[in-house]
Amino acid sequence: MFTDEEISIFFEELEEKLQVISDNLLLMEKGGSSSEAIQEIFRAAHTIKGSSAVMGYEKMSALTHEIENIFDRLRQGSLVVNEALVDTLFEALDTLRALKEEIAKTKTETTDIAGIVASLRECTVSCEAASVAGVAGGAAAAKEAPAAAAKEAPPAPTAGVFPEDKGTEAPAAGGDSPFGGGVALSDVEESLLREAEVRGYQAYWVEIGIDPACQMKAARAFLIFETLQQVGEIIKSVPPAEDLQDGKYGSGFGVLIFTQEDAGQIKNLIFSIAEVTNVKIRQIRAGFAAAAPGPGEVTAAAAAFRERIADQPRDNIKTVRVDVQKLDALMNLVGELVIDRTRLDRFVDVFESRYGDELAENMLEISSHLGQVTNSLQEEIMKARMLPVAYVFNRLPRMVRDLAHKMGKEVDFIIEGRETELDRNVIEVIGDPLIHLLRNSVDHGIEPPEERIRLGKPRTGKILLKAAYVEGQIEITLADDGRGMDPAVMRRKAVEKGLLSAEAAARLTDKEALDLIFTPGFSTSADVSDVSGRGVGMDIVRNQIEQINGSVEYDSAPGAGTTFTIKLPLTLAIIRALMVTLGEQVYAFPLTNVVETLALKPGEIRRVRHNEVIVVRGRVLPLIRLAHFFNQESNPGERVFVVVLGSGDKKVGVVVDRLIGEQEIVIKSLGSYLGQVSGLSGATILGDGSVALIVDARSIVKEGGVEEAAAYAAG
Amino acid sequence: MKKTAGQTMQVVVFELAGQTYGVDISNVLEIIRPETVTQVPGSPDFIEGVIKLRGQVIPVIDLAKRFGLARPGRVSEHSKIIIVEAGGTTVGMVVDGVSEVLRFSGGQIKPPPEIVTSRATAYLQGIVLIDERLIILLDAHRILYEREKEALEEAAAAAGV
Repeated sequence: MFTDEEISIFFEELEEKLQVISDNLLLMEKGGSSSEAIQEIFRAAHTIKGSSAVMGYEKMSALTHEIENIFDRLRQGSLVVNEALVDTLFEALDTLRALKEEIAKTKTETTDIAGIVASLRECTVSCEAASVAGVAGGAAAAKEAPAAAAKEAPPAPTAGVFPEDKGTEAPAAGGDSPFGGGVALSDVEESLLREAEVRGYQAYWVEIGIDPACQMKAARAFLIFETLQQVGEIIKSVPPAEDLQDGKYGSGFGVLIFTQEDAGQIKNLIFSIAEVTNVKIRQIRAGFAAAAPGPGEVTAAAAAFRERIADQPRDNIKTVRVDVQKLDALMNLVGELVIDRTRLDRFVDVFESRYGDELAENMLEISSHLGQVTNSLQEEIMKARMLPVAYVFNRLPRMVRDLAHKMGKEVDFIIEGRETELDRNVIEVIGDPLIHLLRNSVDHGIEPPEERIRLGKPRTGKILLKAAYVEGQIEITLADDGRGMDPAVMRRKAVEKGLLSAEAAARLTDKEALDLIFTPGFSTSADVSDVSGRGVGMDIVRNQIEQINGSVEYDSAPGAGTTFTIKLPLTLAIIRALMVTLGEQVYAFPLTNVVETLALKPGEIRRVRHNEVIVVRGRVLPLIRLAHFFNQESNPGERVFVVVLGSGDKKVGVVVDRLIGEQEIVIKSLGSYLGQVSGLSGATILGDGSVALIVDARSIVKEGGVEEAAAYAAG
Repeated sequence: MKKTAGQTMQVVVFELAGQTYGVDISNVLEIIRPETVTQVPGSPDFIEGVIKLRGQVIPVIDLAKRFGLARPGRVSEHSKIIIVEAGGTTVGMVVDGVSEVLRFSGGQIKPPPEIVTSRATAYLQGIVLIDERLIILLDAHRILYEREKEALEEAAAAAGV
């Protein structure tokens, strides 16, 4: 009965409102009962209640109804917030999320809500502000019970417009009664009507009958308004929109709409909404309606209504949902354009050197303007693929809170730069590593309150998560003011775990000792908890981030806390690369993996057993000849060009024929037909239209790393 | 993809190692002149390399090598690359020359004789005899997807060694 589009809008809104509730609950927990937070939650719960009822999800509607009640009483002051209440509300929120998941998967709701509803009610009793106020509040709550709602609504002031004729469709041509009673246009409306007619709009007076047994009258009205506003503009309604929004109407209501659709279309649209019993439509022309102010004082009311639903962000008109694949296709086309522009540039160069006249200058101008436009186009499309990092960040505060509770710690979690935008592919990847790091911070970093007081620190620990643009990259910083990492402890742990011998551990510099956190199987927590401390974290974190060409750095001092800095590319589609040649072909090395480049004399290459190595500043580096690695022809010059690649803490030198230089490249996949080709991570298209392969530096370093160990052993 | 007897079929006809082949026009995206092909190290030998096509990187296969046919000489000036698409995968096939587009009814397609067994038969859709000419119809789907099967078999064989 609902289209996919409607369902996805429902879910989007639901997710957003749940997030609002979650955020504000956290605020409430921190700052007591701020009236703003209470209002926000009340409004969000109200919206969910309405929309889930519209969609027919009764449990969700019932549960949010309970939540709404509580917040209604909180804002009236007949309840006060206590910890138990917040905890129970969080539980209720979890139940709502569970329901949401269930609905998303199976379109049914089987999760039992009786338990949580009961505990909510129980909690409410313990939160009564005062016994007297409590009774009043209770009565108010009872009054709101859904069963009573239908009868509760005060008779609409214009009830006369809607004689109880629903079901019996009045003869379409006969009744002009609706006009007499319902539509009386003010001067302003009259002129609006004229204007609309000029612009090709029709005005219709639409009377909609609603089943009197309807439980969620407000939601129906809301939905009808929503639907109609998609095809036109609602100018007024009888009764006023405010009353409709509150469900205060009898067996139906009327609206005046300007639209380009025909009457039949409108009728069908409205009939697609459940519990609509009949629809009557009359076209209205300027001058036909009485120019006296009508009973439904509504121009202002309609504006207010619109403002209220504009409150719930719903910029249907301003935003369009686009398949990411389409954006990718666009990106590809722009890539083509960039390539052609580069070709044009070269051509212009030739042209200029050959003729060097005004004509060449004109061409140069055109070409450079084309370049600017192409660059902007590329940038804009990149931006279209970006999402604010809030998509990931928003689910973290709740996690930190739960963790801290569980661990008996007090944490002040601060987020900055939520609005920073990242390519959606990057966003998908950073969630897990961030959760890992945060867990570590709460679990290992922040001390228990007593310990913090003993150390002279503030009782509550602080964790700061910040995202920002730094030098064309995204930098995510996660800083805590906890214990920090102690090199001495790291060395001891490594020996205890049998990862290193005592001598080897003693030889490590402090920095190297701290780097041990990236060793698989290393954990510094004294006792393994179910939170973190399984020692699977940090090496995986680093791996995940390096996979998307990012890097992780950290800074830590014992007692002063730890700061992790994650640097990420803005997008995965374009990277900076070092271009080299091998034989006739061009290869690209992602710059994130390039440590340095060297130009050596052949004599500087040494041999350790069967392996070639070079010595760079006292360190032995294994050498790999790219030509051997790829089994390709090589065309070496007099000097040996070496690209030093690094991934993790391994390094390797790669011999190539010649270095071309740095360049921005657009990454293309090799396609499913070829699948994964070892040593390659993709391809890119060069300025001359030929294809260059992108070297998978990580796999080369991995392969070389084995040799590195051998080289050490031999040396 | 199977055509019933009554349907008309349009086929792109091309030459390869002295034989005439055809492929359903609905699988053909375009026909281009060979351009610089970038070799891909580590790929099977029938993969000629990759080329750029409308901003995408597309693998090019050498049909002669693919079918295990002997082919005199290298890519000539008559050579063409036929870009075929099936099931979302796009590849280019190097052929010796493209002659025409033929139209005939599905009923004219005969199943391949069973005695003829070469690697190419695995990709056959059938054989058509038009004006004394024998045209071998290729099934683009199989050309593109047999590859996966083979890769698996190769991997299994390699593991066994």
